[in-house]
Order: sequence, then C-alpha cells, then structure tokens
Amino acid sequence: MTHRRTHALIWIWTLFVVAVVYLPIACGALASFNKSRYFGFPVKAYATDWWAKTLDSIEIGMIVRNSILIALLVTVLSVLIATFGALAFARYDWKGRRLYQKLIMLPIFFPQPVLGLAMLLGFSAVGIQTSWMTAVFAHLVWVVPVVTLVIAIQVYGFDPSLEEAAIDLGCSRLQVLREVTLPLLWPGIWSGMLFAFLLSWSNFPLSLYTAGADSTIPKWLYAKMVAGYTPMVPALGTLATLGAAALLLTGGLVGLMVRRRSAS
Amino acid sequence: MLQTSPPAVPAPASARKPILQLVGVRKSFGGFHAVQGIDLDVREGEFLTIVGPSGSGKTTLLRMLAGMDSPSEGNITLHGERINDVPPNKRPTCLVFQSLALFPHKSVGENIAFPLKVKGVDAAARKARALELMAIVRLPETYHDKNVMKCSGGERQRVALARALAYDPEVLFFDEPLSAIDYKLKKTLEKELKDLHRETGKTFIYITHSLEEAMVMSDRIGVMRAGKLVQVGTPEEIYGAPVDRFVCEFVGEVNSIEVTRGADGGWSGVDVPGAFKVQPPRGSAGDGGMDRAFIVIRPEYMRVLGPGESADNRIEGVVYNEYSLGSRIQYQVRVTASGGGEKVMLVELSRSRALPAGADARVTLGWDAPDAFTLRS
Repeated sequence: MTHRRTHALIWIWTLFVVAVVYLPIACGALASFNKSRYFGFPVKAYATDWWAKTLDSIEIGMIVRNSILIALLVTVLSVLIATFGALAFARYDWKGRRLYQKLIMLPIFFPQPVLGLAMLLGFSAVGIQTSWMTAVFAHLVWVVPVVTLVIAIQVYGFDPSLEEAAIDLGCSRLQVLREVTLPLLWPGIWSGMLFAFLLSWSNFPLSLYTAGADSTIPKWLYAKMVAGYTPMVPALGTLATLGAAALLLTGGLVGLMVRRRSAS
Repeated sequence: MLQTSPPAVPAPASARKPILQLVGVRKSFGGFHAVQGIDLDVREGEFLTIVGPSGSGKTTLLRMLAGMDSPSEGNITLHGERINDVPPNKRPTCLVFQSLALFPHKSVGENIAFPLKVKGVDAAARKARALELMAIVRLPETYHDKNVMKCSGGERQRVALARALAYDPEVLFFDEPLSAIDYKLKKTLEKELKDLHRETGKTFIYITHSLEEAMVMSDRIGVMRAGKLVQVGTPEEIYGAPVDRFVCEFVGEVNSIEVTRGADGGWSGVDVPGAFKVQPPRGSAGDGGMDRAFIVIRPEYMRVLGPGESADNRIEGVVYNEYSLGSRIQYQVRVTASGGGEKVMLVELSRSRALPAGADARVTLGWDAPDAFTLRS
C-alpha cells in the first residue's frame, strides 16, 4: 500500500510545515492572554486585561493610526508610480529600457537595514528632519519595485494591439487608458495595492531608521521588547497580524467577486 | 409597378476615382528598408488585396495606411489631402487586426458598440446599432451579452468585423484576419467578406500571404516583394500575365523552359533540347530584343497530344506520378533534359480527360505559343 503511505507522509509533512509557520503566531496570542506581566510556559492564569489595556491605550491608538496612514500613502503613491512604471517597463521600447528594468528591481535585494541607514544619512545630510513622512519615502523606495513587478506581469499578459485597436476606433489617449488599459490591468493593480499596504504595514528596518520620533507598530513592538515589556506587545502583534490577514481575505474575496461578475 | 428606367448600375471599379493615393512611399527602420518606394492609386469602393511572402513589407505598408506608422518618405493622400501624420483616431479608416484585438473584458455587444461609446452615443442607441450590425455579420441576437472570449474563432471574426463597421470608416483594412481559421470556415468567411464588401460599398484593403484568398475576394491584387509592388492588376491579369518569374511562380505552379536565340533568329531550348515557337512578351513589340528568355506554361495549358493532334511546340516524356486534386488530376512527366539529365513537367487535366494508362505511359506534351508567355531571363 505504497500509495497510502505516500498519502500519509504528504499529510504529516504538510501539517508539520503549517505548524512551524503558525505556532509562533499562536504563541504570541497565548502570551497576550497571560494574566501576569512576564511570559512563562505553561501559562498559570489567563486574562484579557492586557487586551483591554492595549485597546484603551492612547499611545497605541496613535501608533496604529501612524501605521495605517503610512501604509495608505505608500499604497496610493506606489500604485500610481508602479502602474506607469510598469507600462514604461513592459510596453514601450525605448533606449535604456533594459537598464531601467534592472535598476528598478535592484532595491528589492538590498539589505533593508543598510538601505534604511543610507537613507537616514542622506536625509540628515540634506537637512531633512525625519518623521513619518520620510518613512513613507523610505517605504516607497522598497515597495515601488515590488509593485512594479506585480503590475508588469499583468502588462506583459495583454496584447498591445488592443490599445492600437482602441485608438484606431477613435479613442483619445485618455479614453484608451480608461476603457482598455486600466480595466485590463485592474487585477494586477489590485494585487499591487494589497502588496504595497502589507509590505509597508509590517516593515520594521526602514521605519526604525527613517521615521524619526514617530513610531509604527513594528517599531513600537521592538522598542518595548528592548525595554518595558508587557503582554501588550504580543497583543498588539497579534492584532497587527489579524489585521493583515483580514485585509488579505477581503482583498481576495473582492477580486473573486469582480472576476465572477465579469465572467457572467 | 411600372419600371420606367433600368435600375442604376454602379460604375465599374476601374472607372471610379481614387480615394487613397500613395506616391513614392518609403519606410525605413534604422538601416532596414521595409517599404521601398510605392506608388498606388486605390479606387473608391474597390476590394484591393496586397499579397506577398512574409517580410515583403505588406504589414508595414498597411500600418502606414492606417496611421500607426508614418512614412519616412513620400506622400499618402486621402481624397487628395495629405494624411501622412494624421493619427489613426483622426482617420476615417479602420483596421481589422490579425489578432482581431477584441477587448476581452467586454461582451460581444460592448465590443461592437465600442466606437459609438467613444463618440458619446447613448446606451440605447448603441445597443440598437450593435444589434443591427450583428444581423449584418450573421451573429445571433442572443450573443449581445455573451463574453467575447467564449466565442469561437469564426464568431470572433464576425465581432471584429462588426466593430470595424460600427466605426463607419470609408476604408477598411484587413491584416490577414483569416490566417488562423480552418480551411472550410475560411472559405465561408471569404465569401461573406466579399458579399459584405458589395453590400456596404466601402473600400476594402486586405493583406495576406495567401494568393488563394486574394484570388477569391479581390477586384485587384498587388503583389509585393522585398518592399516593392511588383505588379498590380485584376486576378486574371496577375495569373494570366505576370510581369516576372517571381509573380509567375508566386501565383501558381508553372513549367518553365529557358530558351536562347540562334543565328537564324529561331529559338532553341537551353535546358530542354529542341526548337520552340515563342510568343512575343506582352506589352512589347516583336520579341523585345531578347537573346535569352523563359517560356512559361501553366500546367492546365499543357496538353497531352493524341495521334494526329498538332501543337506549336511538343516534347516527349514519360508519366511517373499522378496526383488527384479533386476535380482535376496532375501528372508529373519526365522529359529528357540537355546533357542527358531529366526535367519534370507538370500537366493538369480535368478528371474526365484522365490518361488511361497512368504511370509509365509515354506521352507527347504540347502547347500552342499563345497559351504560354515569355519572360525575360
């Protein structure tokens, strides 16, 4: 019954991988429900006190708002830049295109702490005070290449003669964009938006160096781990993870619904 | 009802005035000369096909006519006005792409009504016109809301055609739209396209590498080779009086015999021994002052001579292969070549006149000088 054994092994392996990936997150959630301040296993007494404190905290509210604001700005700006970048990247043939394709992909592979430090040095050299705004810029440097790549795949996937046909049938450039290019790029733009938001939302190294006095969720978690740990750290961490998961789920469902509707 | 006057007969295409004129049109990409000096008058309402092998520059020519490229040199005029740099959305012309370029995110009806939407026509009028056009291209009304990607190849052709008609262009261009369609459907669509041409009275310019397509549909055919228009004429002219060996071989199978003129003024074969009677080349007085030439005989003009039958020219040979072409049969006949080798001649006979003996039969091939044509070597 080798078939049966193979099947069993596949199941065991899959469960093992899922456990390795999700157990730490579960541990974090567990730690946040600890009644005492310091984490020990097994947990002696459970309580939701630290969750209540987390949700009530004015400081944490501000930090979450910072993270959301930065992520939203990064999403909007990166999708704008990346959409036109991807069109230039994948559609039009111009001198220097190959170099541009390589240059714009490169920041993905830079060590982020080095990138963050470099930008911090750059900002102070030209006399810019670091804040959440400089963090937005720093995130863009890393997120735009990723989103460009995601949208470029969509651009490669559609026949350029569609745009030519639209012009031939009387469209202005703007009408081509509205009637043909954007609707066809929409799935790529939508995934690009999710990528942008989530990459910014969870980014630590760039925020650490470039957000100045402003804090974001990952930056705050780190600071509290270094000094002043309470179960509010795993509580906020769990909250951030759940938020990301909820966003992905909603994004996936919206994408599915749009596809269903256009298919009917 | 009494009819007092006969119905108006449209003027023959050859008598109509030109709508599109090309004078010395050239197009180069870097050092590559894709189109090398084309002069052409396209007459209003005609079906003109540009045919040529791939790489002959026909697609580049079409893109210049449609406004997607502009000529490096020369002029393109529409109704006498220069349109070299007029963009496609400002030209009363429309191109049916090889890929058809249907919008995958729009339904059949939305695709067809697209040019109307761009013009700002309201939704109700758009739908009404889309349904009218669907009837013209023989698409069922129920297809209006169908996903265009779920249509078959033939249906997509019709959608693309209806969409082009919705733009109401004066000239329609076609870039090999039937190249990916199976044979039988292609034959149907060719006929429908020809009918549509007659019904709409618009000027059609069609490009293809398939001469068969060109022959079936066109009023005139232009043969392109290496960026130049080698010959423009009716299908009969192209087939019956090709200007050179390229056109001649492009438009069908031929037998050719090279001949040279002797001191006495008579012609004798170079690759096949014997004396031949040669027809003067078309359009030139006498023999055009040639010393060497090719006699070209199409397989269907080659006869198999029975006892007592005569012809201007004759060659002895042995049948060694026969192919059925349906209603016709083609024979390959070996004849003795100069120097002792062999040369293959093609003979095509209708099935009712098939050779009784078939393979290995000795035959006498013959043709009259006016049934062949003479080309410069």
